[in-house]
Amino acid sequence: MGDMATTSEVPYFDVSDPDFSVSSAEVLAARERSWYARTNFGIAVLRYEQTSALLKDRRLRQGSFAWPEQHGITEGLLHRWWSLLMLSVEGDDHRRLRRLANPAFSRALMEEMVPGFKLLAGELIDAFAERGRCEFVSGFAEPYSARVLCRLVGLDESRWRDLSHWSTDIGLAFGVTIGRDRERIEAGLRNMYGLADELIAERRREPGGDVISALVQAHDGEGRLSHEELEAMITLIVFGGMDTTKNQLGLALQLFIDHPDQWELLAREPDLAPRAVEEVIRWNPTVVWTTRRATEDLTVEGLDIPAGTTMHLLSPPANTDPLAVGDEPFDITVERRAHFGFGGGAHHCLGHWLARIDMREALPILARRLRRPRLERAPVLRPISGVTGPVELPITFDPGADA
Amino acid sequence: MKVTVDEQTCDHHGQCMIACPEVFNLVSPDRLEYVAEPDESLRDCVEEAESACPTLSIMIED
Repeated sequence: MGDMATTSEVPYFDVSDPDFSVSSAEVLAARERSWYARTNFGIAVLRYEQTSALLKDRRLRQGSFAWPEQHGITEGLLHRWWSLLMLSVEGDDHRRLRRLANPAFSRALMEEMVPGFKLLAGELIDAFAERGRCEFVSGFAEPYSARVLCRLVGLDESRWRDLSHWSTDIGLAFGVTIGRDRERIEAGLRNMYGLADELIAERRREPGGDVISALVQAHDGEGRLSHEELEAMITLIVFGGMDTTKNQLGLALQLFIDHPDQWELLAREPDLAPRAVEEVIRWNPTVVWTTRRATEDLTVEGLDIPAGTTMHLLSPPANTDPLAVGDEPFDITVERRAHFGFGGGAHHCLGHWLARIDMREALPILARRLRRPRLERAPVLRPISGVTGPVELPITFDPGADA
Repeated sequence: MKVTVDEQTCDHHGQCMIACPEVFNLVSPDRLEYVAEPDESLRDCVEEAESACPTLSIMIED
């Protein structure tokens, strides 16, 4: 079997162009013509069914493992950290690391944190509610996600600002500007490693029931985790859980500002929160782009994909593919097929229950207390690459009671 | 011990197979095979799979 479509019919994108947007009209129009596009660097997948199958196909590995090397970073702290990440390893090593990390992120454990999530959300809103205005990222999204993470790893919450800044710096590693930002990323990593070593020493002296204690025990007691892996795992947990939720909350509010009836509905019916979280992520995921690399020659729907080809799985077009979910507007009352905001397959997001549950608690409280939110001025946006979301989201609202 | 997987909600991520390959096998991206009545000695591993499932599709009956 060969390439079924002629080259002229297949869309083409330059995925290295900093202006390339996975949510652009151009990408959505391409999806109507073809399930894939050619790019300057592999194949971009645009539709639901193919994205779903490729995420889970074990003939492909996670595609970002060589990302730093592709940008000329072949040694040093960033390169080493990246090579140790659960995202970069496959097979038995991946399985060993994933099984060590999984229990700390179970739904049951995350549910135990719910009363604390509610109190934290209320406390943060109290600080600005009377004024009827706030900068939503620094006033809510950032401290909420960072302080939740502090609780998860058992760290003094007063240190949330440092953690958040370092995470933002590290997050630059997932963008196309990784080469230019290397120094800032490595500075963030050095700080985060310092924190990891501090936590490891502390839990060695006084073990608790938290995720860090469990990982330290896996290293010290059973030798199932090397010291380097232990450090990398802790930095990944702290970084991965913070930047993503912060951005996803900002994206959620942006969506609801554009859909005031849905915000009102959520305020009246907080039981809709689980669906609201899924619908927000379907429409406006913070992780817009995952990759896979073929480890052997494949044929997908008549398209030959040689071993070594990178497949760019773009979640915004796949999540809203009319062939799979219909041409449906943003609606928090409808249960839909799963979105790809948490990736999928062996590398499915480890912390998805934390993200889901802390947002399920935050959104209805916000909807009740920030009535009729509107933009005070245009938001400042991060480029759509890696982790996406507003950097500044200045809003005004009518203060409401949390009754 | 009796295991059932809800085929309506199973999304074939294969996390169960990472946790417990003795019982779960994702044959292809759309087909999961599993041992319906695994040996009691595999209980820890099956419970680990149940907890790791992103769609909560695994049920254990005693």
